[in-house]
Amino acid sequence: MSYRRIVSVVMTMAAIALLSFVGVGSAGQADDWTHPVTPWGDPDIQGLWPADKLNGVPLQRPQDFGERDTLSDDEFEERLVYAERQLEIDSAELASRRPLIGRGGRFLECDDDPARCRDGVRIGPPNYWDERGVPNRLASLVVDPPDGRIPPLTPEARQAADERNAARRARPCTGTEIGCADSYEDFNLWNRCISRGVTSLWPGGYNKGNQIIQAPGVVAIRNEMIHETRLVWLDGREPPPPNVVSYMGYSVGHWEGNTLVVETTNLNGIATIGGAQHSDQFVMVERFSRVAEEMLHYEATMTDPLTWTAPWTVALPLELDPSYDIYEYACHEANYFLYDALTGARTLEARDATAQ
Amino acid sequence: MHNRLGGRIVSLAMWSLLLVLSPTLVAGQGSNTTPPRLNGNPDLNGIWQAVNTANWNLEAHSASHGAVWQSGALGAIPAGDSVVEGGRIPYRDGTAARRADNFNNRAAEDPEALCYLPGVPRATYVPYPFQIVQSGGDILMVYEYASANRLVNMGEARSAGSDTWMGTNNGRWDGETLVIDVTGLNGLAWLDRAGNYASDQLHVVERFTRVGPDHIRYEATIEDPTVFTRPWTISMPLYRRVEANAQLHDFKCVEFSEDLIYGQYLKEPVQ
Repeated sequence: MSYRRIVSVVMTMAAIALLSFVGVGSAGQADDWTHPVTPWGDPDIQGLWPADKLNGVPLQRPQDFGERDTLSDDEFEERLVYAERQLEIDSAELASRRPLIGRGGRFLECDDDPARCRDGVRIGPPNYWDERGVPNRLASLVVDPPDGRIPPLTPEARQAADERNAARRARPCTGTEIGCADSYEDFNLWNRCISRGVTSLWPGGYNKGNQIIQAPGVVAIRNEMIHETRLVWLDGREPPPPNVVSYMGYSVGHWEGNTLVVETTNLNGIATIGGAQHSDQFVMVERFSRVAEEMLHYEATMTDPLTWTAPWTVALPLELDPSYDIYEYACHEANYFLYDALTGARTLEARDATAQ
Repeated sequence: MHNRLGGRIVSLAMWSLLLVLSPTLVAGQGSNTTPPRLNGNPDLNGIWQAVNTANWNLEAHSASHGAVWQSGALGAIPAGDSVVEGGRIPYRDGTAARRADNFNNRAAEDPEALCYLPGVPRATYVPYPFQIVQSGGDILMVYEYASANRLVNMGEARSAGSDTWMGTNNGRWDGETLVIDVTGLNGLAWLDRAGNYASDQLHVVERFTRVGPDHIRYEATIEDPTVFTRPWTISMPLYRRVEANAQLHDFKCVEFSEDLIYGQYLKEPVQ
């Protein structure tokens, strides 16, 4: 996790400059720049490419933007002001510190460590946990369709989603501020520290680090969030049979000129993508193009005819940042969120039972 | 795109020649006609796995019952030899009780049962493959178990900013050997399922030496003055996964540990 989140005017201006640079694509390369090459002759796209220059950019574009893909000066000024306010809130010092995890994965009760509890309740993480990054002029991460909106679900997928939601609402459960907490299964994969899924490279709330390391025949894409790594095979192999599935899927790739094209299939469909539960027909094709020494243009196209009525594409400018530190995110090893939510719900149940 | 098969055949031919000409070279004692290299260093790229019982117990042990009787023979412990030089781990007086305690509570407390990060050196010999991604510069170690990984910094050594499960890894080439100095380990990972352990004073120096096209000699010297009377060393061969299209699969074990960790806090507690 990086703690560099100073929203300076200089960095903002740099981001704007870089964005306009990306806007003109490979035609904008400096004349004297040649694409680096690995010792074994592949295009070299290695380095730290954190997705931390995209503060304020939503996945989908607000509908009133239409096909306009960047903010006006006034809109961008608003985003900057908001980011500064957010930074003030995030930087506020709180007295609390997280308690240590007990031996053998047992969580320390409040009584074990009263100094780190308030009124018998464990204290949450401080706001500086979040890393917003540098604001950006982009109106959305989705660039295709041209209105920046994820295409509608197919009627069948819509109906299945509605039925799932209705079933969830109909189920009696112990409600807390964050919803049902009967079981760990009431929480999403990220909250459970299992996976952020195959879109882990896209910007999230924190831990935005991405690193690419290449070796002959393979490219490793390392994500800071939940310490995940995708290994992209370039040796022409096929993915495993369709019954072999996983949270990150299986990725094979090839070079088209200097662009790395990665196709990922065999996802288990448990993680949502763009808010939707996809089918086993889902394919993601990513394109990594180093358009300048310090700029990687990333695109991902999602196709699943059983889920969306059309394919859709996300694009991110990723800036090389050798100073970025990928910290070990041992997420599951002290997942107090899940512990607190479950024990909190059980406490509420006990209280309600006593009241009756 | 590379002709990997072709490279493989050439590599095998070179090694066969070496084996015939000079067995001593295969012990990794250096030569001008060495196997595949990357940026002048031995090429350790590939998928590797330990094939031994170190993860059950670093020391010599008999076959025995598993941690929970419900698993029957599926969970039983296979017998094995010691991977510790000299046979025994040199614990300080008064530390043996902790190891026995760990062993007795292993079904619920072994960090591997909880799907916690494996630490170093255990990551190397948990019974799952790992992949070395050697770029020419820094080296990424990717482990199938728990999606663990660690970046080995091959540049100027960096000091540990904070303690972590997988440590701060500074690497260098010592002739034919990749040497990794691991500091900043939090000491929460056990060394095996037998409950062998260290503390946050743990310092590990690993040595990866290619001794054949499909073999690495792995050594790790373990130093922790609060737990051990002296530094001690484990060593074992690592085998290349040579099957066609060998690859790491996802082993995201968090979901396999959730009943163990949270089961008592569910609305319908796990019995």
